[in-house]
Amino acid sequence: MIELSDSARQRFDDYLHRLRRTLRGNQADDVEQSVREHVEIALAGIPAPVGAEHLGVVLERLGPPERWLPEEELPIWRRVMTRIANGPDDWRVAYLSFGLFLLTLLLLPLGIGILLLVPAYLVGRAFVELLSERGEPIGARRWLVYPPIAALLFLLFSGFLIGPVVPLLGWGIGEGGFHRLWNPAMDRIRVNAGLTAASIGLWWILYSVVLTILFRPIRFAFAPLLDRLRRRHLWLLSLAGAISLGVGAALLYL
Amino acid sequence: MPSAFYDNWTTQLRKGLLELAILNTLGDAALYGYEIVRRLGDVDGLVITEGTIYPILSRLKNENYVETYIEESPEGPPRKYYRLTPRGREELRRMNQHWERLHEAIGHVRKERGR
Repeated sequence: MIELSDSARQRFDDYLHRLRRTLRGNQADDVEQSVREHVEIALAGIPAPVGAEHLGVVLERLGPPERWLPEEELPIWRRVMTRIANGPDDWRVAYLSFGLFLLTLLLLPLGIGILLLVPAYLVGRAFVELLSERGEPIGARRWLVYPPIAALLFLLFSGFLIGPVVPLLGWGIGEGGFHRLWNPAMDRIRVNAGLTAASIGLWWILYSVVLTILFRPIRFAFAPLLDRLRRRHLWLLSLAGAISLGVGAALLYL
Repeated sequence: MPSAFYDNWTTQLRKGLLELAILNTLGDAALYGYEIVRRLGDVDGLVITEGTIYPILSRLKNENYVETYIEESPEGPPRKYYRLTPRGREELRRMNQHWERLHEAIGHVRKERGR
């Protein structure tokens, strides 16, 4: 065996490790033996110990082992990983975003999955922006990039739709606060229903005002999914709030 | 300037033809791996990276199209020689015939276009 310098030995060991990780079983043994022979022949005649620079030239010509096998011979999970690692940037980032989103779903039962939704969204949203700058259509990559954006949009919108009112309802209905505050002589169910409808209605009107004020940044944050959203669409939320407020008032006053 | 489509097409074509090229290289004589790599590397535009040849040789061996034997070398380490098996030789004959037909067919299509 040819004598290598320490750095060259380290580099060659790393290279063979990558080779064994890419190929499996008998094929890895066979190919490793061939590559060792190849390197020895290629470096024959160079004074020992052979340095990393000489070895580097030979390994460069051999190429990265990860690219030796045709894609169809790789298992599916490795195809995806290979695309992330070696594919063109415009697919790599899309796969990364989708991979993070899948992890989000898989880790949801453990309670930490939701934390990954934010990076998945950020990577996906940055990718959309990059394509937009280049004027390049997103094409089939939308199926990889849109899910985390849509998931975060849905979570935030639906969370804010009812979320802020929940503590108030807990106090008002659960602890009887509505009934005590409004009119203890009045029917409890009617008071609870009336104040619930009124609270939700008021919040929706306020929510739509906040959304209208922050309309541009919100639409930008969730582009391109909200590209068709117009300010007038938010009036529907105000209208729903006004109706709910009206129903609540009717229950309390009529 | 070559387009991404052209690059992809030529890469796929090279990958598809590399096995045929390797078997043909072994058509006349047994060769060791490094020599096969060198010979194919000299053919302009055929080999993408030299290392791709070794997994193909290994697969051809597993499928019994080639066999190997070790021979001592006066210069350096013992060398693993590859040679065609009778099965490999027969498969190479069929592959070459198919290639000829394909080559003729494309030539025919191009001639038709030129009329």
